Amino acid sequence: MKVEPDQKVRINVKVNGVLHEAEVEPRKLLVDFLRDDLGLTGTKVGCDTTTCGACTILLDGRSVKSCTLLAVQAHGREITTIEGLSSDSKLSPVQEAFKDNFALQCGFCTAGMIVQATFLLSQKKDMTEEEIRDSIHGNICRCTGYQNIVNAIMDASRRMKA
Amino acid sequence: MVRIPFKRLFLIIKMYPPQVGYFRPESLGEALEFLEREEAKVLAGGQSLIPMLKLRVLRPKYLVDIGGLKELSYIKEGDTISIGATTRHFELASRRIRGLEILQEAASKVGDVQVRNVGTIGGSVCNADPAADYPAVLTALDATMKVRSKKGTREVKAHDFFKGPFSVDLNPGEVLEEIRIPRLEGYRQTYRKVVRRAGDFALAGLALAIKLDSGVVKDVRIAFTGVSQGPHRAKEAEKVLRDSKLTKDVIKRASEASTSGANPPSDSRGSSWYRLEVMKRLLQTSLEVMANES
Repeated sequence: MKVEPDQKVRINVKVNGVLHEAEVEPRKLLVDFLRDDLGLTGTKVGCDTTTCGACTILLDGRSVKSCTLLAVQAHGREITTIEGLSSDSKLSPVQEAFKDNFALQCGFCTAGMIVQATFLLSQKKDMTEEEIRDSIHGNICRCTGYQNIVNAIMDASRRMKA
Repeated sequence: MVRIPFKRLFLIIKMYPPQVGYFRPESLGEALEFLEREEAKVLAGGQSLIPMLKLRVLRPKYLVDIGGLKELSYIKEGDTISIGATTRHFELASRRIRGLEILQEAASKVGDVQVRNVGTIGGSVCNADPAADYPAVLTALDATMKVRSKKGTREVKAHDFFKGPFSVDLNPGEVLEEIRIPRLEGYRQTYRKVVRRAGDFALAGLALAIKLDSGVVKDVRIAFTGVSQGPHRAKEAEKVLRDSKLTKDVIKRASEASTSGANPPSDSRGSSWYRLEVMKRLLQTSLEVMANES
């Protein structure tokens, strides 16, 4: 696959179970493809510098920062965004836990936090508070509401085991 | 990840990579062929490259995306551990290799979970941020870089490979294919770093491997990150320790000697003087732990 700088590239990406075919510039960032082209604005742009984690999505099941990937890098791969975690307006266990634990203040980091927590719990069901805090260090809550976020993730882990 | 000077942060409203072409090869051979002809930059995970494109520090004509090449993603164990360049941080962080425990420890401290899910060891090594984690480990362990181009293969020692900040011994058309690290069995190994805030690059980081025989240091390797233009091998400290017992006095002298030749930068996160103090304390406390455990 070769694309000239002034050309567009055709990509196939499965997003939340739906296959999308699109033409994008090679320099198009994945987060902008999701938000502007597909209208999935649940994923947020915070710092735009790989620091804050508001743009976290799942790429082939692993959490990544979509402001630091090109859309073309996702060609042929599967993406899950915050919109894809719930089905038929039924919240996922992590979303339920965030709601019940008041794990948000302004809400801007929440989508990224929930996606990251979903990934962490897919890797390891039993995490200590310390492990949770360490593994969400790529997600910044500028309201500093970490206590309830950590509580929510521990609660989600209990719910998923039950 | 790339550090952005504090002042520039306010000048940037929306950052976007410049117009760039894209090539996705089916094999390493195809990538080398392309790199020989075109003015291009290799894209592996992109966790340093994409931020740099956004800052317009780099403006290549093409990106050659080797991130999906399976032939470059592997960990092979023998007397030497061979690691393919596009092996991702999380794969190294989840694998304990006997005689190379330090690599798992270092890999699990790179960036954050999301960065480790995409970023590759080869990408981080070729980016050669002076505060990156792997360069110190590879320098301490005398690793060898296997570099490929269309013309052939050559091998470069870590010590020669890291030439300065963001500068490595790679010529146009060349790609880092593999990293070879000798297995250090019977060595106690540790990688520790000090950061001011979660996610920051290291103020200073220490890669330490030490072999003790009834309390006497038979061999020791010490390298720091973040305190010089490139990884800093603390040869003077190694000299102090070799063939000595890890007494309080020896540890103190080694820690003092470790800063010889280091030239840490001063910036918003710490002054040069402070970084030197951090270095000494890192080495001192690490050696004390090892002395107590032996």
